[in-house]
Amino acid sequence: MLTPAQRRIRASEPVKSFMLQPRRQVGSFPETTAVEEPGPRVLLGIKNCDLVPLKVHDTILGEGEFKDPFYLAQRKSTLLVAADCPEPEKSCFCNLLGLTPYAQDGADATLTIVDGDWLFEIGDSGQQLVDAAPELFTPVQEGSPELDKRARQRAAAVAALNVTNPRPWNSDLSGAVAAKRGDDSFWSRHAEKCVECFGCLMGCPTCYCFLLYDQAKEKSLGRTRVWDACYLAAYARVGGGANPRAEFVKRFANRFVCKFSDFKTDHGMYACSGCGRCFKACMGKIDIRKVLAEL
Amino acid sequence: MNNPYQAIPATILETHDETPNIRTFVLKPEQEIPFLAGQFVELTVPGFGEAPFTPSSSQFKRDTFDMTIMKVGRATGALFDLKPGDVVGARGPFGTPYPLDKFRGKDIYIVGGGVGLAPLRALFLALTHEIDKYQRIFLRYGARTPNDIVYRHLLPEWQKLPKVDVDLSVDVSDEKWMKKVGVVTCLMDDIPCDEKTSIAVVCGPPIMMKFVNQKLLDAGFQGENIYLSMETNMSCGVGQCRHCRLGPYLTCKDGPVLTWAQIKDIENPFV
Repeated sequence: MLTPAQRRIRASEPVKSFMLQPRRQVGSFPETTAVEEPGPRVLLGIKNCDLVPLKVHDTILGEGEFKDPFYLAQRKSTLLVAADCPEPEKSCFCNLLGLTPYAQDGADATLTIVDGDWLFEIGDSGQQLVDAAPELFTPVQEGSPELDKRARQRAAAVAALNVTNPRPWNSDLSGAVAAKRGDDSFWSRHAEKCVECFGCLMGCPTCYCFLLYDQAKEKSLGRTRVWDACYLAAYARVGGGANPRAEFVKRFANRFVCKFSDFKTDHGMYACSGCGRCFKACMGKIDIRKVLAEL
Repeated sequence: MNNPYQAIPATILETHDETPNIRTFVLKPEQEIPFLAGQFVELTVPGFGEAPFTPSSSQFKRDTFDMTIMKVGRATGALFDLKPGDVVGARGPFGTPYPLDKFRGKDIYIVGGGVGLAPLRALFLALTHEIDKYQRIFLRYGARTPNDIVYRHLLPEWQKLPKVDVDLSVDVSDEKWMKKVGVVTCLMDDIPCDEKTSIAVVCGPPIMMKFVNQKLLDAGFQGENIYLSMETNMSCGVGQCRHCRLGPYLTCKDGPVLTWAQIKDIENPFV
């Protein structure tokens, strides 16, 4: 069996599951819920399309006046070892988002498999892994053939992506999506193929919307946080029953506006890393690349 | 680190029935919740759920706070079954308060509808607490029937305050009603303040806000001077979960009060 580091592309399950679990207790009443520190762990073989979304989550959950202590505890206890994608598949499109099929920053270490050897580049906090088992590592000198081979391997992966996805999107993608915000006829061409299974949102490494709900226990209640999906009809519905996005086409458009316009405007980054999970999961075969290419 | 999802206990000290389906709860939280007028608190009804409400009492007295709540759904239904002495959960304050510094020296024209007077009461009490800082305060309030008027016992007292002018309307009157009959905009035909500089503050059902806002714009009020309480679905209250997204804003963080200038380009903001 291949280790995650050896796989050609990202795993099916997004890495976000390790930090922002699909379901967890985040509060209780009247007693309080403690934030436990999980033991140290290493996630090995993270591809760049799973690494970049962590920046989105760090921004939303880890910065500002209110921080998520559960997320931060998971994050703090985890070392991230990234791995290159030597052979991107047809569903990969990180190049269209200005990303690369290998990690550039945000990892504690980066692995590249070169001729069966593992080339290990130390990043943010990766030195401790080397210190823990120095006998496993041999230093690589600047200008060594391994580094040269890595550079060529990476360039080949980028070239392959450019063959799969040759045509760049609108150079002002954020503005182009925003301009279509209320244009139902544009979005409905694609939205009508959706069966509302939400596989695209659950599998998305970036989507982080969640819902808090309370469950009665014997003499207390537990507050649970679950992943939520903006495609759900009840997502934006208010207490009195009014719903700003009652029609599905509005919810469909909202996903694109959120990922490619609002997020870019608010945080300077897209809430998409080009992993391709959304349309690999899609029963209606809605390819996000084709939707955006029409802008 | 603080857990923003964790509520603290708050004891119900008293309840007052305002109307057949609106009740004021006086709550004493275990620790003071340092709210300012316009900010909201997430209230937990143990075992039933959580919902956001804006305190309706003064920000200058915070050992207890009032919540005036209409019974509409599951959580509020369960809340109405609770009695003084029972304990609920509270977390907050969240959101952006009314920018009172921008209101200084100006006439404030407040328009409320139904239970929408609740958050406006917190504003009204904050303004009248330091009345010298402001010009005059106009309160225009509409309810469905005389029986649906909240703070019925307080409104005559407010009318007696210096620099304050109160006027009321009901959609459907009874034989004892002596004031205007009609939706609240019927009180707005003659707005007695300078529309170019005055501040308008509106809270009520979305359809009421839509028409009041239009009437204010027609009268010449500036979009950046019209403050509207926007209703969206909120879950986390702290700008993370994204449910309350309204155009480019998160109402739980940027709002819940937004100006017309902020929201005018949003498709159908009053849903």
